[in-house]
Amino acid sequence: MGTTANERDAVTNGEPLAALLAAGVGAFALGLVVILHEIGLFSPPTLYEPSGGVSGRTTLAVILWLAAWAVLHRRWKGRRIEPGRVVMATITLVVLALVLTFPPLWALL
Amino acid sequence: MDNLLFSADSIWTMIHGIVLGGGALLGIAAALFSLVTVRVADSANASAQRQARYLGWLTMLVAVALWLTVIVGTYVNFPPYRATPPEGLTDLSQYPKALIMSGPGTAWLHQFAMEIKEHVPWIAAMLATGAAFVATRHGQSLARDASVRRLTTTLLAICFVLVSFVSLFGVFINKVAPLD
Repeated sequence: MGTTANERDAVTNGEPLAALLAAGVGAFALGLVVILHEIGLFSPPTLYEPSGGVSGRTTLAVILWLAAWAVLHRRWKGRRIEPGRVVMATITLVVLALVLTFPPLWALL
Repeated sequence: MDNLLFSADSIWTMIHGIVLGGGALLGIAAALFSLVTVRVADSANASAQRQARYLGWLTMLVAVALWLTVIVGTYVNFPPYRATPPEGLTDLSQYPKALIMSGPGTAWLHQFAMEIKEHVPWIAAMLATGAAFVATRHGQSLARDASVRRLTTTLLAICFVLVSFVSLFGVFINKVAPLD
């Protein structure tokens, strides 16, 4: 007899943690793309001219986020993951993303 | 057409800021309240399951509203905001970015506020989507696993702060240089 989703959730946490960590990875990816653009190292192509470069930067970050989510989901599905490091990594990635997208920082570089 | 109360740009600005962004903000507040007050003593009982189901729907609505907010903001509102005025034009009222940048006291509204608005809401949308996935697909984990619940709550709280600030910046920008 197969296990129900509720029974699986009682012992595994891989899928929810994958979704939350992937959100952190996506946020950081956007911060990284933004800072690389601001220091002139890499600018994704503009996808919609009237909106300018932000269309390429945000689209690239969304693609990286979804890719990270797919990989993490696949690797952690049905597993129990130690949450401590995942929590710390997720929060750190989000904080870094906010720092990297903070305009006054760009002026210092 | 000239005597319309609101222009199309103005209506899209209201949809972006009030309907979608404001709706998302209300939804995040309600989801946070639900997450903080949820009790996990018996996550299998009907009441707890109903609450988990409602929370799932609510967070999904928040995520959809945030994605629509950033998409409308980036692809509908932003182009007329950043349009370049013809050379020599002195009345910049139809060109919000140029109008803001023309004054030393308002330039920060683009250089700081709009630059943040260009990127940070996308972060909020990703965080809200992660939280919505957990709440809709793994409600039992959310109820039983304190780590998952705490991280989901933290990401939604960050979301709330980010959306609040970018909404406030939007109000400032629209007050000084509205899209008419």
